[in-house]
Amino acid sequence: MGSVGRLLLFLVVTAVAVVMVLPFYWMVVTAVSPASDILAFPPKWIPSRLTLEHFTVAFAKAPWLTYYQNSLVVAVVSVGCSLLFGLFAGYAFAVYRFPLQNVFFLLILSTLMVPVQVTSVALYVLLARIDWVDSYLGILAPNFASAFGVFLIQQGIKAIPLDLVEAARMDGAGEVRIVLTIVAPLLKTTLATVAMILFLGSWNDFLWPVIVINSQELRTLPVGIALFKDPYGSINYGPLMAATVIASGPMLLAYAVSQKFMIRGIALTGLKG
Amino acid sequence: MSAWRRRGFRRRHLVHAYLFIAPVVLLFGIFRVVPAVQTLLYSIYKVELLRGRFTFIGLENFRALAGEPAFAQAMVNTLLYVAAIVPVSAALGLALAVLFNTRFPLRELFKAVYFAPMVTSTVAAAMVWWWLYNPQFGLFNVLLRLVHLPDQPWLMSSRTALTSIIIFSVWKSLGYNMVIYLAGLQAIPQQFYEAAMIDGAGPLRRFWRISVPLLAPTTTFLLIYNGILAFQVFDQVFVLTGGGPANATNVVVLDLYRQAFERYNFGYAAAEAAVLFALILGITAVQYLYSKRFEVAY
Repeated sequence: MGSVGRLLLFLVVTAVAVVMVLPFYWMVVTAVSPASDILAFPPKWIPSRLTLEHFTVAFAKAPWLTYYQNSLVVAVVSVGCSLLFGLFAGYAFAVYRFPLQNVFFLLILSTLMVPVQVTSVALYVLLARIDWVDSYLGILAPNFASAFGVFLIQQGIKAIPLDLVEAARMDGAGEVRIVLTIVAPLLKTTLATVAMILFLGSWNDFLWPVIVINSQELRTLPVGIALFKDPYGSINYGPLMAATVIASGPMLLAYAVSQKFMIRGIALTGLKG
Repeated sequence: MSAWRRRGFRRRHLVHAYLFIAPVVLLFGIFRVVPAVQTLLYSIYKVELLRGRFTFIGLENFRALAGEPAFAQAMVNTLLYVAAIVPVSAALGLALAVLFNTRFPLRELFKAVYFAPMVTSTVAAAMVWWWLYNPQFGLFNVLLRLVHLPDQPWLMSSRTALTSIIIFSVWKSLGYNMVIYLAGLQAIPQQFYEAAMIDGAGPLRRFWRISVPLLAPTTTFLLIYNGILAFQVFDQVFVLTGGGPANATNVVVLDLYRQAFERYNFGYAAAEAAVLFALILGITAVQYLYSKRFEVAY
């Protein structure tokens, strides 16, 4: 490629990058600009002065720390359970041979094909019967285990040499201990990838929480922002963007720090959430 | 494995095997498999949740669906959305991947920037775009005014609203498509290109004759993956338009959500879920039939 070609390529790549960044940039600028800047023409690319007033309004209008706590509890419990259950199930499917093994494995994988969009109606009816609607348990119900986690962990265990497992057995280690102290440490990378993808999926999940949650104090962050926009009230973009910054900031920071790991994990496994 | 079998491994560990898979199997059975089957069953029932009454009504729910213009509109919108988003993000993703398959400064940084919308919550990102699309003060119309072009109604007009949602979704998924294609491109052995260059093939010819055919498995994966996700589109529609104006952006899952959880028409919503399931099953079947045909081994 000639130097003109190279320059052209760099210009195209930069132009697309500007388009990709613009919404993020405008979100932050709107959130920290005084109200007069927000409606100015021509647009104020750089705030005339920095202000936190929109954040004050956003915090006064909605309990963001509670939303954080809800998102965090749901994500941590769902990732923790999915990893723990997935580790044992993945081990069983990779190491043991037992009757109906393939039936169970396919049953688990088949749930990947049936999204919560399809199951939500009957799931809601079921949860209403056991009084789980409008509770953490309700949000968590379909997310206690992950088919995708079981699959990736099973693949990971298949790739580790079983001599290690056998040696531990000779030493008299029980199966549970082998899974927790020998297999799990060897699978660190796989487990980290699965945890990251499940966490991201849970953190950003919207449809199921908005179905199952009614009380404001149980809203997760996405539900909190979506219902922060009052469709009939006065539209105030400063606080709305401040709320969006509050809600999306930490994940974007985590991404900035670990983008290589996150991109590779999401791309390799071909899945988001 | 055979060494273990000799030691009577199988029988001793049968209990372990079933105990280890029990949590996942039970949780999935209760919260996913049974509700999936039940939802399909509900579609032939009249469901009155408060009275706990289920009345068999055959295909009545489906007949109601077929006769409901709002559902027809939601179906058409969903199909239009799928038909637009799937090829557009794949094509743009491929074009960008080709650019990224060369060396230039800050390449990794650019890649991270392109991918950033993918890790952002759809609701939060859509909220920002809702502001950008504001007809009076939103940045898009402000930029149009700066270059003396006419304002666009964006989300406010039934003519442009669905397109505006599609533009948002392309922005959101472009980085993912690019990264997947880039991985596919990097897996193609360099010799193929070298051989073609010796034969005098130009860059365009090399792209169409080597890259595109060898990327067929990647393309199949992306079309199916994007397709399945696109049929389930909900978050951005909920935030950006709520299905309006005048149902112009209503989609199947949004309609299902409204019917089930705002109007408590569970039977009707279950019929919509059944239709959605059939669509996803259809794509998966196509994948199953075609995935073997496009397998590539180096």
